Amino acid sequence: MSAEEASAGTEVSVVGKEEGEEQQVVNPWEVSAGKGGIDYDKLVDQFGCQRLDDALVARVERLTARPPHCFLRRGLFFAHRDLNEILDLYERGERFYLYTGRGPSSEALHLGHLIPFMFTKYLQDAFKVPLVIQLTDDEKFLWKNLTVEESKRLARENAKDIIACGFDVERTFIFSDFNYVGGAFYENMVKVARCVTYNKVVGIFGFSPEDHIGKISFPPVQAVPSFPSSFPHLFSGNDQLRCLIPCAIDQDPYFRMTRDVAPRIGYQKPSLIESRFFPALQGENTKMSASDPNSAIYVTDSVKEIKTKVNKYAFSGGQDSIELHRKLGANLDVDVPIKYLNFFLEDDNELEHIKKEYKEGRMLTGEVKQRLVTVLSELVARHQRARAQVTEEMVDAFMAVRPLPNMFG
Amino acid sequence: MAATASVGTEVSVVGKEDGEAAAEEQQVVNPWEVSAGKGGIDYDKLVDQFGCQRLDDALVARIARLTARPPHRFLRRGIFFAHRDLNEILDLYERGERFYLYTGRGPSSEALHLGHLIPFMFTKYLQDAFKVPLVIQLTDDEKFLWKNLTVEETKRLARENAKDIIACGFDVERTFIFSDFNYVGGAFYENMVKVARCVTYNKVVGIFGFTPEDHIGKISFPPVQAVPSFPSSFPHLFSGNDQLRCLIPCAIDQDPYFRMTRDVAPRIGYQKPSLIESRFFPALQGENTKMSASDPNSAIYVTDSAKEIKTKVNKYAFSGGQDSIELHRKLGANLDVDVPIKYLNFFLEDDNELEHIKKEYKEGRMLTGEVKQRLVAVLSELVARHQRARAQVTEEMVDAFMAVRPLPNMFG
Repeated sequence: MSAEEASAGTEVSVVGKEEGEEQQVVNPWEVSAGKGGIDYDKLVDQFGCQRLDDALVARVERLTARPPHCFLRRGLFFAHRDLNEILDLYERGERFYLYTGRGPSSEALHLGHLIPFMFTKYLQDAFKVPLVIQLTDDEKFLWKNLTVEESKRLARENAKDIIACGFDVERTFIFSDFNYVGGAFYENMVKVARCVTYNKVVGIFGFSPEDHIGKISFPPVQAVPSFPSSFPHLFSGNDQLRCLIPCAIDQDPYFRMTRDVAPRIGYQKPSLIESRFFPALQGENTKMSASDPNSAIYVTDSVKEIKTKVNKYAFSGGQDSIELHRKLGANLDVDVPIKYLNFFLEDDNELEHIKKEYKEGRMLTGEVKQRLVTVLSELVARHQRARAQVTEEMVDAFMAVRPLPNMFG
Repeated sequence: MAATASVGTEVSVVGKEDGEAAAEEQQVVNPWEVSAGKGGIDYDKLVDQFGCQRLDDALVARIARLTARPPHRFLRRGIFFAHRDLNEILDLYERGERFYLYTGRGPSSEALHLGHLIPFMFTKYLQDAFKVPLVIQLTDDEKFLWKNLTVEETKRLARENAKDIIACGFDVERTFIFSDFNYVGGAFYENMVKVARCVTYNKVVGIFGFTPEDHIGKISFPPVQAVPSFPSSFPHLFSGNDQLRCLIPCAIDQDPYFRMTRDVAPRIGYQKPSLIESRFFPALQGENTKMSASDPNSAIYVTDSAKEIKTKVNKYAFSGGQDSIELHRKLGANLDVDVPIKYLNFFLEDDNELEHIKKEYKEGRMLTGEVKQRLVAVLSELVARHQRARAQVTEEMVDAFMAVRPLPNMFG
């Protein structure tokens, strides 16, 4: 649609509602909000993607014959590009594949990192489709002060946490760029690169003339897994197979660019399904940072650490005293434990109950936090159990360049 | 060395003839453009601005001594005339250490002309003289990025060009030919990314003249041509030999790639490649004209028949002779602009005969027609030999040269 072509290359900025200009910046390397946090309506408007409405969620449910994932029910995956086309073709009995990824910049994954993978697993199970997962170790080498060996090692370590999310090895290909780039994948990188000017990437990504050419040449690397011909061992002869990309909305620029280029090189545009940002423990306006372990819950945290972090650092929307709280209730807009429960408490009814009781002052911060600690401890413990069972051989199996004969079965 | 000061310096020269013309003449020399001022390319100024060194007689003599054979005529005639750190290669060779050769071609057309053969003829001599391995890069990705070709077409051209290259007589036991679309990946790609991290957009603009309306394919290409200089790009060949030195024979317009490479190498723990560089091969119709695929009479092609060679030389080769025989006998020929003499300089092996022809022609005793006749004979022989060798190159031989395989006898 014209919206996204017009938006390709548009720098995202928003004039804030309070006095003084506030700019929100959303791109793959920077997410910073104005005073009121990220304005998702303005973001969707400027990016030119579409809101994922209840009708679409209901349609997903109907087509997959199972309840929609809580991330859909809760509006966490809230925006899309051409998801309806994927559902149309699926309804006609046609297939598609999934593509998601991770930039392996550290060993420590936090819960926010798991979101796209948890959702992608649901999509794989619900639609019974194959999945490619890209580990952009080259990107991390280019943006961070790492060695090639270190970024490759992190890619493999991160692959273990990804595998622990429960993907089907018969339908999933995990690859790291340093290992996989070449052949048809490289041909597609070069095809895309020929279609994007320096001016264009400056507009989309904000590069500058003092940036090194590694950064400037990276975007095609993240674009081309959208094209089935990049994976001849998987999709040979199926050049028009459609692709659906679950990702956080800060990745949208890569795929605006990809969708702009695709028809020019004879390929289908990928569809996207996009999530909001996962809030830092200390509040929406703070950053999760590897240098501050109390800014997030890590998949390696112990029950004790989770309890301490939630109790001490999770930003509360509750009032300062019990009396005030019973009188005024909690501010759900800023309360981080409620936001986390929104992501991770499966039971819709229980969540609604907690929200109502907390908002109206009958439930206290401590109780909400206690519930959250339980939910997160269970999630993290399950992940750690699954992670402990991932062997080097399993990583090799997921990363082997091999056909997936049962990928649509 | 001072060479690195030139990295990023735009090459431009104020022409000498600014007396009457009173206008600035700029010569431009980079991988995609070679244009001269009025007097042709000023090689002294070029060497000075690029920061490379002249290849002097002492160095040529040293090569002859170290290789125990006569130096190639391209060295004797000053056609390969400039270098970077060639002396370091000779030093290490003298100590009994090894190096490898790296050259390449951008496969933009099926038709190679004689100018295209120059670096390959010279590289074959170097391979034989020093008994060292050689990698040859076919930059099909570059041609895709700069020309309006499909990927399939550039890959096909790469294979076709490989046959002409093989016909130059390289040793399959010591030579790895690769095309980027086939070979990029693994350690080669890791090195591309390492190099790319060390070069800013501003830097490539300064070196190569890119602009913001250029596509990012062009901007990201230079590391691809840089990394064959590093032995770790070829783990199947040089595994464990990360500090192996590299010597690159090429035409001097390729120098910018390797100025950049030499600037980056120490920052990523690698050795700087050395270079040995040639002058440009003149177009048939004169130094100030361009060889162009769209004008078949601008060059002699390796596919030309003896008849075509004769016609082209007689009709189109720019002559420095006088307009009439009387004038010619009186004034003699202008060797500075005479293309047949320049071509004989490249292709007539016998130094004495060449000197004789030059003397006689310059002093008016030999006529243009006779010089051209000699040239036609020389070129016909060369082209015929090439065509015979080319006809014998099979698809299997191409596969053999291009196979990713170790070369166990590469230093033998």
